[in-house]
Amino acid sequence: MVAASSTDGAALPSQGRAVLSVLKKPSVIPGFGLTMGFTLAYLGLIVLLPLAALAVKAAGLGWAGFWNAVLTPRVLAAFQISFGLSLLAAAINAVFGFIVAWVLVRYRFPGAKIVDALVDLPFALPTAVAGIALSALYAPNGWVGKLLMDWFGLKVAFTPLGIAIALTFIGLPFVVRTVQPILQDLPPEEEEAAASLGATRWQSFRRVVFPSLFPALLTGFALAFARGVGEYGSVIFIAGNMPGVSEIVPLLIVIKLEQYDYAGAAAVATLMLAASFALLLLLNLLQAWMRSRHAR
Amino acid sequence: MAIQVSGITKQFGHYRALDQVDLEVRSGELLALLGPSGSGKTTLLRIMAGLESADSGSLQLHGEEALGLSPRERQVGFVFQHYALFRHMTVFENVAFGLKVRPRAQRFGRSEIKRRVMELLELVQLAHFADRYPAQLSGGQRQRVALARALAIEPKVLLLDEPFGALDAKVRKELRRWLRKLHDDIHITSVFVTHDQEEALELADRVVVMSQGRIEQVGSPADVYDHPASAFVYEFLGQVNRFDCTVADGVARVANGALAIPTENGVQGEAIAYVRPHDLGLSPSAGGPGRVSGIHVVGPDARVEVDLAGLTLEAEMDRERLSFLGLRPGDRCAVHIDRARVFPRR
Amino acid sequence: MLAKTSGQRPALDDRSWVRGFLILSALGFLLLFLVLPLVAVFVEALHRGVDAYWDALVEPDALSAIQLTLIVAAIAVPLNLVFGVAASWCISKFDFRGKGLLITLIDLPFSVSPVISGIIYVLLFGLHGVLGPFLKSQGVQIIFAVPGLVLATIFVTFPFVARELIPLMQEQGTEEEEAALVLGASGWQTFWRVTLPNIKWGLLYGVLLCNARAMGEFGAVSVVSGHIRGETNTMPLHVEILYNEYNFVAAFSVASVLAMLALVTLVAKTVLEWRFGAELAATRH
Repeated sequence: MVAASSTDGAALPSQGRAVLSVLKKPSVIPGFGLTMGFTLAYLGLIVLLPLAALAVKAAGLGWAGFWNAVLTPRVLAAFQISFGLSLLAAAINAVFGFIVAWVLVRYRFPGAKIVDALVDLPFALPTAVAGIALSALYAPNGWVGKLLMDWFGLKVAFTPLGIAIALTFIGLPFVVRTVQPILQDLPPEEEEAAASLGATRWQSFRRVVFPSLFPALLTGFALAFARGVGEYGSVIFIAGNMPGVSEIVPLLIVIKLEQYDYAGAAAVATLMLAASFALLLLLNLLQAWMRSRHAR
Repeated sequence: MAIQVSGITKQFGHYRALDQVDLEVRSGELLALLGPSGSGKTTLLRIMAGLESADSGSLQLHGEEALGLSPRERQVGFVFQHYALFRHMTVFENVAFGLKVRPRAQRFGRSEIKRRVMELLELVQLAHFADRYPAQLSGGQRQRVALARALAIEPKVLLLDEPFGALDAKVRKELRRWLRKLHDDIHITSVFVTHDQEEALELADRVVVMSQGRIEQVGSPADVYDHPASAFVYEFLGQVNRFDCTVADGVARVANGALAIPTENGVQGEAIAYVRPHDLGLSPSAGGPGRVSGIHVVGPDARVEVDLAGLTLEAEMDRERLSFLGLRPGDRCAVHIDRARVFPRR
Repeated sequence: MLAKTSGQRPALDDRSWVRGFLILSALGFLLLFLVLPLVAVFVEALHRGVDAYWDALVEPDALSAIQLTLIVAAIAVPLNLVFGVAASWCISKFDFRGKGLLITLIDLPFSVSPVISGIIYVLLFGLHGVLGPFLKSQGVQIIFAVPGLVLATIFVTFPFVARELIPLMQEQGTEEEEAALVLGASGWQTFWRVTLPNIKWGLLYGVLLCNARAMGEFGAVSVVSGHIRGETNTMPLHVEILYNEYNFVAAFSVASVLAMLALVTLVAKTVLEWRFGAELAATRH
């Protein structure tokens, strides 16, 4: 046993230190015990313990009770609405977010820096503010809603379309901010090589540029989608919240809670949590797979 | 004439990258554009490929004006310093790219593309790596893939931008010999850019020495080395001793006459004399004007530093010669100059 | 005139109609989804005049909401700041098993719906929750009270500081700290004099984002708040109540304050990125 250099965990008995050295490489830098202890305690109390409470509550229903709580037409419809419209909004963001990233990286135009900064607005603007602003804007008497109504007879606010609008707003930065840095770092020589090998601009984009950006685009799409599924504040004002038509899962959870159906709320919440974790896991696996193929 | 460059000028902001450059590239030759960074050599190469536009002048590829043509219309093979291989494509797909993007009417069938690509991969000795991704190859292998990819479109000329610049010394030398041999086999008109004089002199049929956007000299490697046209070329090619001197009556006097160099080119007055280390002869001499201040043995060669009236000279000889002379640090010696060039001071 | 290409590389030039079309598409999209909603907030807030706007902000319930929002942020942000620094210290300066898992767990709250972030505390501390009966017997109320708001806010802003600092500190490595220790500095001295100066902009960046989210959080606090006017209403919740009472001018007036907070955050963030972009580069994903 090495003489106790009082670096980490000063008061650990020698046996404890031996166990620690299996888990952690030795280092001269102090503070491991303190920071690790605080990190784990804080993480445990704030995040893990409450999440465990959710699991406990849902498990209290039993297997059959859980599925009974979840497999009702209203819950299933809410899942369909939440996932379907999040998918739609993420797809809209994939298209326009890609264009925004392209324009910001490749072209110079007046105000580009302001536009660039503004892209993060949905991250910074409180969701409730976004919610009432969007619903005022897209309501039948709002600036945009009135035009859509007069020109196309389209009702946006208080319909599922309104939900898609809110989710598009909320997910907007994800695609832009994942594609932008990759596009920035794309070596221009690859496109020059394509051009000198006879490719048209479109061929060079489709065969060289786009495949390089696709993993980032997919990541941004998945992040926007995952965010959309859980979103609450910006949606409830514009959605209309009709059960089975425009009622999203998070709202349904809140409603169950307000009706003191704690177990039901826990069950739906658990299912949603499981779904978003599965999604993130899938995404990570996909990214790992793509990285392993094309890593520099 | 494969490439005819006339009066090409290129300005980046206030910086003139190329200034009225004229150059002819002969069919089938391997030409080196040699110069320090910022000399305009890469800009000239990129203008030939259409990857950069010229402000004025003309560029003819095989007798046809090419400045108005886009890169894809020029049928020029370009090899990039950092390979610029398509990361998400296999080696095969990289090489096949130029054939697959042809307009439908000119495109080969699948089997013909495969045949051509495999033939090229044989040529660059990478046929067994066809299914690998660029990330799985070494630097030298990647550069050979890049070369095969450029050759696939059957270019009229091949342009290489610092083709060995990103490789380590050993691979660089191997690949250099290999490229020379390849060129002797297929005789495609080739221009390559380099800042490494050894590379240019060893590899090229002719060398173009560039500085500050202008061409200083064009000639065979022996030509530019033995008969440098300017002080810049002399200094840039190889090691050199440089002295301030005064020329009178055909003799350049260095350090108040401590060293006298006969001149032939009619320079008068203030001038600069250049002597290559291997053109500087030493002999032991107890009363000689020089004093050996240091000896560095590098492999088979020896570099001897000599103090002469306040100047430091460097002489180069093989080790046998050194031990024959028996010079040691501190010894006095005589200095004689076998060959020198004197240029007027600017 | 509308669009010049970024470089001197003809091979990367797009045709001018392509450029024009893409720029107009991008700007049109952003106008519709970002600019108009932002403008709408201020127009709706002011359309009955400045007096109505001001009245909505100084009425007692609004003032108490503003106060509560400040209190919640003043507790949650410093706690997450300390946690973020501690977590990034132990993650970036040491090698240990399970590091990947720890990072994933720290990021976890970002992938949880705000509603779930609130509900877990209700299920833990609420009257029918796991610890509810015990807390009631002790006379402690967490849910429908300020502690619940603080907890939910800490949860949703949990990863902000740590996630900015971890990549930054990992990139900086441990050499400078080792040098300081060899020169005789104590652990605290090393942290204050060597580490902190190196990470201060990244730290500020993280705190900025953390604060914006803490003051603007809606879903999570909505679940734990109980919406008691003048007591457990933060500004976003106050906006909701006013809006649902069809008191649109007042709702948008309070919302406009939050929107200004968002704009200030964006400006500060942009300034940080411009001035210290290189130092923050590791944190941009």
